[in-house]
Amino acid sequence: MMSSLSATGRRVRYAELHALSNFTFLRGASHPEELVETAVRLGYEALAITDECTMSGIVRAHTAAKQYGLKKLIIGSELHLQSGRKLVVLAQNRDGYAALCELITAARRAAEKGHYELTRLAFESGLPGCLVLWVPDKRYELDVEDHWLRETFRDRLWIAVELLADGLQRKQLAALYEIGRRLKLPLVACGDVHMHRRSRRILQDTLAAIREGITVDKAGFVLHPNGERHLRSLEVLQHVYPAELLAETVRIAETIDFSLDELRYEYPDEIVPAGETPASYLRHLVAHGMQRRWPDDVPARVVQLVEHELRLIADLGYEPYFLTVYDIVAFARSQHILCQGRGSAANSAVCYCLGITEVDPGRMAMLVERFISKERNEPPDIDVDFEHERREEVIQYIYEKYGRNRAALAATIITYRPRSALRDVGKVLGLSELQVGRLARSMQWWDGQRVDDSRVLEAGLDPESPVIKRLLYLVRELLGFPRHLSQHVGGFVISNAPLAELVPVENAAMPDRTVIQWEKTDLEDLGLLKVDVLGLGMLTAIRRSFELLRDFDGRDLTLANVPAEDPRVYDMICKGDTMGVFQIESRAQMAMLPRLKPRCYYDLVIEVAIIRPGPIQGDMVHPYLRRRNGEEAVDYPSDDVKGVLQRTLGVPIFQEQVMQLAVVAAGFTPGEADRLRRAMAAWKRRGGLGPFEEKLIQGMRERGYEEEFARQIFRQIEGFGEYGFPESHSASFALLVYVSSWLKCHEPAAFTAALLNSQPMGFYSASQLIQDVRRHGVEVRPVDVNQSDWDSTLEAREDGAAALRLGLRQVKGLSEEAGRRVVEQRGNSAYRSIQQLLERAGLDRRGLGVLASAGALKPLEGHRHRARWAVAGVEKPTPLFVSMDRYEAAPLLRKPTEGQDIVADYQSLGLTLERHPLHLLRHRLDRYRYLQAERLPDLVHGSKVCVAGLVITKQRPGTASGVTFVTLEDETGHVNLIVWKRLAEQFRAALLNSRLMGVHGELQIEGEVVHVIARQLIDHTEMLGNLVVTSRDFR
Amino acid sequence: MPRARKTPVLIRADTGTPAAVRAREGAAHPQHALALDAPLAKPQASTATLARRLWFCVYLPDLPLEAGGPLEQASVVVEEQQGMHRVLLACPRAAAAGIMPGQTANAALALLPTVRIEERSTLREQQTLEALATWLEQFSSVVCIASADVLLLEIAGSLRLYGGLLNLRRQIAAGLQQQGFGASLAIAPTPLASTWLARAGQRACIRDTANIASALRSLPLACLDWPAAICDAIEGMGVTSVGDCLRLPREGFARRVGAQRLIELDRALGRLPDPRRAWRAPERFCADHEMTEEQGDREVLLAICHELLLSLERFLLTRQLGAQRLLFSFFHLRGPATQLSVGCVGPERLAGHWFALLKLRFERMTLPEPVIAVRLYGGRNQVLHTESGRLAFHGKAGGQRLGYSMSQLAERLAARIGKQSVHGVTTVAEHRPQRAWCLQSVLGDKARTTLAVLRHSLKRPLWMLPEPTPLPAEHGLPLHQGRLTLLEGPERLETGWWDEDGIARDYYTAVNPHGMRLWVYQNRNRTANWYLHGFFG
Repeated sequence: MMSSLSATGRRVRYAELHALSNFTFLRGASHPEELVETAVRLGYEALAITDECTMSGIVRAHTAAKQYGLKKLIIGSELHLQSGRKLVVLAQNRDGYAALCELITAARRAAEKGHYELTRLAFESGLPGCLVLWVPDKRYELDVEDHWLRETFRDRLWIAVELLADGLQRKQLAALYEIGRRLKLPLVACGDVHMHRRSRRILQDTLAAIREGITVDKAGFVLHPNGERHLRSLEVLQHVYPAELLAETVRIAETIDFSLDELRYEYPDEIVPAGETPASYLRHLVAHGMQRRWPDDVPARVVQLVEHELRLIADLGYEPYFLTVYDIVAFARSQHILCQGRGSAANSAVCYCLGITEVDPGRMAMLVERFISKERNEPPDIDVDFEHERREEVIQYIYEKYGRNRAALAATIITYRPRSALRDVGKVLGLSELQVGRLARSMQWWDGQRVDDSRVLEAGLDPESPVIKRLLYLVRELLGFPRHLSQHVGGFVISNAPLAELVPVENAAMPDRTVIQWEKTDLEDLGLLKVDVLGLGMLTAIRRSFELLRDFDGRDLTLANVPAEDPRVYDMICKGDTMGVFQIESRAQMAMLPRLKPRCYYDLVIEVAIIRPGPIQGDMVHPYLRRRNGEEAVDYPSDDVKGVLQRTLGVPIFQEQVMQLAVVAAGFTPGEADRLRRAMAAWKRRGGLGPFEEKLIQGMRERGYEEEFARQIFRQIEGFGEYGFPESHSASFALLVYVSSWLKCHEPAAFTAALLNSQPMGFYSASQLIQDVRRHGVEVRPVDVNQSDWDSTLEAREDGAAALRLGLRQVKGLSEEAGRRVVEQRGNSAYRSIQQLLERAGLDRRGLGVLASAGALKPLEGHRHRARWAVAGVEKPTPLFVSMDRYEAAPLLRKPTEGQDIVADYQSLGLTLERHPLHLLRHRLDRYRYLQAERLPDLVHGSKVCVAGLVITKQRPGTASGVTFVTLEDETGHVNLIVWKRLAEQFRAALLNSRLMGVHGELQIEGEVVHVIARQLIDHTEMLGNLVVTSRDFR
Repeated sequence: MPRARKTPVLIRADTGTPAAVRAREGAAHPQHALALDAPLAKPQASTATLARRLWFCVYLPDLPLEAGGPLEQASVVVEEQQGMHRVLLACPRAAAAGIMPGQTANAALALLPTVRIEERSTLREQQTLEALATWLEQFSSVVCIASADVLLLEIAGSLRLYGGLLNLRRQIAAGLQQQGFGASLAIAPTPLASTWLARAGQRACIRDTANIASALRSLPLACLDWPAAICDAIEGMGVTSVGDCLRLPREGFARRVGAQRLIELDRALGRLPDPRRAWRAPERFCADHEMTEEQGDREVLLAICHELLLSLERFLLTRQLGAQRLLFSFFHLRGPATQLSVGCVGPERLAGHWFALLKLRFERMTLPEPVIAVRLYGGRNQVLHTESGRLAFHGKAGGQRLGYSMSQLAERLAARIGKQSVHGVTTVAEHRPQRAWCLQSVLGDKARTTLAVLRHSLKRPLWMLPEPTPLPAEHGLPLHQGRLTLLEGPERLETGWWDEDGIARDYYTAVNPHGMRLWVYQNRNRTANWYLHGFFG
């Protein structure tokens, strides 16, 4: 680097005190990391990140500053007052930082989401511990407010001189010196930095245009005239600014003594009762829990384990964390909200004793070793899933207990993805919405770097045209830029002191929610703790199943007492008969189960983790299958590796295994392994596994592993990418898999009713769930205004078995309020006429209409047509004639045909209890020689077959290189279709439009898995007439 | 295929040559005709009985697609619904590729990447429909625009003229096809019956009221164009056709579906009268002055024009309107008519004002031949606002003081030296000096004049060179009649990357030894050449 010497021969020194990163949304045009890196390269003494009224970007800057060796990172914020004054406030020390965070919090909370409001009043405290740079506007006239500034901040106030080559530098400088003289204020040089290098001005212009919602060529003075707002080299600065102004920057920087490392997190006090320490209280609770879990005799092994864990927790001082989670879980228990913990710390014996999880560590002996890593000093991680419909109660409890100023949700920074970037950039470059839509339609070709010209051509655009080139360039630059703050799904931060002293808090989009300005990863980077409060639909369904059974025959089931390791349950799972079951119900999972043949709990743990994009991309599934089926020898390159991979037969399946491999085989320190894990999660976005690749392969080679093995491990790491699944989560999920499978196996009626009552959730529609449960021999009874509750319920049959009664909630268009009123007003006396329904339940004509369409009025009026006619004729009782029976000529209405009933059922309920629609069409389908689904398994592998069915799901997983999976349904079952990409293009219309699809193809049978490889697709939708079948399409 | 409707017929009198011209050819009487756009015929008083009416329905199901012009490639029309563009109509070629109404625009593109996607324009549809209505008026005096895609003609009176029903039908069908419309046609004694039949796509022709019911019975409910909620409700009762509706008890039907629908059914069946109003084209002024002799004398012609302008003034006055453009046509015995258009800055009504402008233009016009007729055509009428307090310019001509307003001055200048030669200048919000201003027409719409505020206190020379001139340089400083001293700057401009005119320059205010103050710049590229861009006064 050239040294920058001033005229006197002294080296020029400079600290940039006013720089915006791209966390000042749509103004800053560089990532904080880029700014830091450039400042280091230019030899700056310090860099201040002063994003406008936000602290969102500073943790990244902080991490980067450490990584690149920045001499000093200053934390501050640019603030615009309502009066138009612009200030840059820098935190001089911890108190100043707290004051600034509180100021930002107040300003943000006073305005709607995404905005802030600041007036002079906010500064009454004078912001002790902060330095203030005043950026005067270009009028250079003084008014009262400027004197107010002087009075408020006194000797902590500077005038910022920002010379940006606008042609008036000399005048500006003179005017500012004059103001400084009159107000007795010192001047300091600043750069108003918006980007790390000049070439970003193009992107900066684009952002400005996006911000203002106009095209770039119309943006005019919204844009900056030039690209001076970048980090300028010391030589340039030396020419632009008088030396004393540059020297002042360094003087200011030197008085600043604050780093984010000083932030310390304090746990809330109220989790420990008076007279107890966190350690003693935790010990007390655990002992109590042990008694509860093992009432007779606690196994010695458990006692030992608990003791070991408690010591580890004590060493790291994590007792308050466990107590915090315990408190939340205890609240949920008290409200009968089902919950289940997962995560690295959740599978500990301590958590089992505390009731945070129901996974018996005895059942899971293999997991405990990876409990908390002492060396890694990684904060423990417990996510707690709650019933999705009742999670809000838990959240409100946390707010209530700790107060809104001490508990808040972590933020999620929404960043530009290819689609959104393309849309926004396209708009400001003047492309029409439809043109951009064409390009954005299929973004699969976008690998982050290159764009296939043929795709651009196909979208009707010329890849050589300058506009398109600019568009693609800008989209690439914009990718990964933050756009706005959103709330994290459930990451809570709870602290002892007001949170606003730690990080600014702002309003979220949802009413009554506040979020902090940091993301989950920011919290991890600073070593702060959070509790994830998540919602899980399956927990709702399981709790409802338990309740239905309790009401039906008084059985009291819980997650803990569902009979364990029932072979019949595993028999069912091995057949792939898992529709509705947690996690293992997808097409891919169902196809895998007969091959994996899970026979015990740990098999389920693997099953949950293995059929995921990560392991599939890393090509781990088939090696594992072969080894499990004994088709391939299980061997390990070393004992170290064996220790890590033995439980998964030598194939790395879990995220933890990859990290351990890096440690034992490549010599990573635990800290490095942890960085690798985070880089894995983000490499697609930020593109940075490079340094790890070399180190990993080098390390493994040095330890005597073969190059090929090393490369394979690295490929697997890449494959894990964003999808790698940790064993610690899998272990908790596996319990829910088992419990839901047990319910499906032994109590199908209750389980299906609970699923129906928890919709929408899972892969399958109500119709499919009902067909499935009927195939399992459960009687399903129709919606009936005199029998149904709002929810689906169980009714006892004469033989004592449970029948499923559909609830009024299945009726489309019936509000919950109206439905519940119908049930409530019915009490014990059934409705005898529609007029009674109107009068007693207060239904309006629309409400009656949907009930009539649903066939729920059958006991009152007979068939649907008559019910509709009757309903249309009812009138609200008038005060004069309370109940009016008017004489009317009776119309001749045809009874609906079976086909009409089926159509009406689908339209109104989304399912039918009549015969399957294809039953009625079978004679027509026979003419095309379409086979029934149930006959396929009897044929031989490779047969040519024709099948037809309703299209119920279309799925195009991102991992399957353009394959579309289609599920067809006929009156006998399902047909799983594989449509290769080429064929999909050839039969685009049929694939996209068919609701009833005919297929010619080839049968593929592998064990119990039956697929049809499509060769030709035919759209037979017209046969269906009015039948509405909506397919569930998944990407 | 020629498509006449692309030039909408605006006024009836405009079609063809004036009567006098025809009269000359056929030796008829001279006359002075003034036709204020009166409709050629009015709907006849309804003295006739219902059965003597016959309604011809033209239903245009593909109008949104066809209104966009000829279909040269596969096209769809989309409409925005809740933020999503959905296909409203697909042309046969697009439909063959699997594109169906209701799909998203993206789905259509997925099926046929080359498909042309156009957004629906109801305005264009309306205009097309009106043009068609005008065209149809040749077949009947009563043409109605019944809905956004239905035209109705009462043809009972036209049958003889056009050689019977079949002939008339053939002519209309051929004309529609030639203009590129796929229409569904039906004939029935009531407007609604013919409409419903046409919607059902039945080429029905019913002449006897007694036959209506049997023809309608099998029609599905969708033909009735009733609100979806009503259709759903009665379909839910198993009622799916008009016949089913007719079978229901009247009172019960009215109570459930609404009396209005019952009335519609009765009207369709001819049980109730269904009076319709004929559509009329919007009013435009158009007047002819026809002469007995060919006239070449300019003074006489001017006098005739003045007279026409006075009728225009009366026409506009009674309607409180003004016009901004006028078109004079001077017809000759042989050869095409000579056209002369006169424009104003704003809507204007006064004959004197127009006449003054006309005189300026007329002086400079050459007539190839003597004139046999003059027509004044009034253009689009606009609401007239009176303005006051205009900036006035004063001049002297022949010892007489003249006062002009700014707009009058502009009009007079434009009339004399041509519209394209008179401009205003306005500033544009743009950093690039060469684009920071633009010319603006003074005779155009006033509304879009927005004066961009220049960034304060920036130095810009009033005299800018059309193209920057390269300057030689010596020791890094530019020369222009001597070495320049840079007074102020640089003002760095790096912008305009989004078009082909991007710049990266450092601008300076400079002075040369003669004391000339210049605006110069140095390119911010490797050559770092100097240029002169303007002079300060």
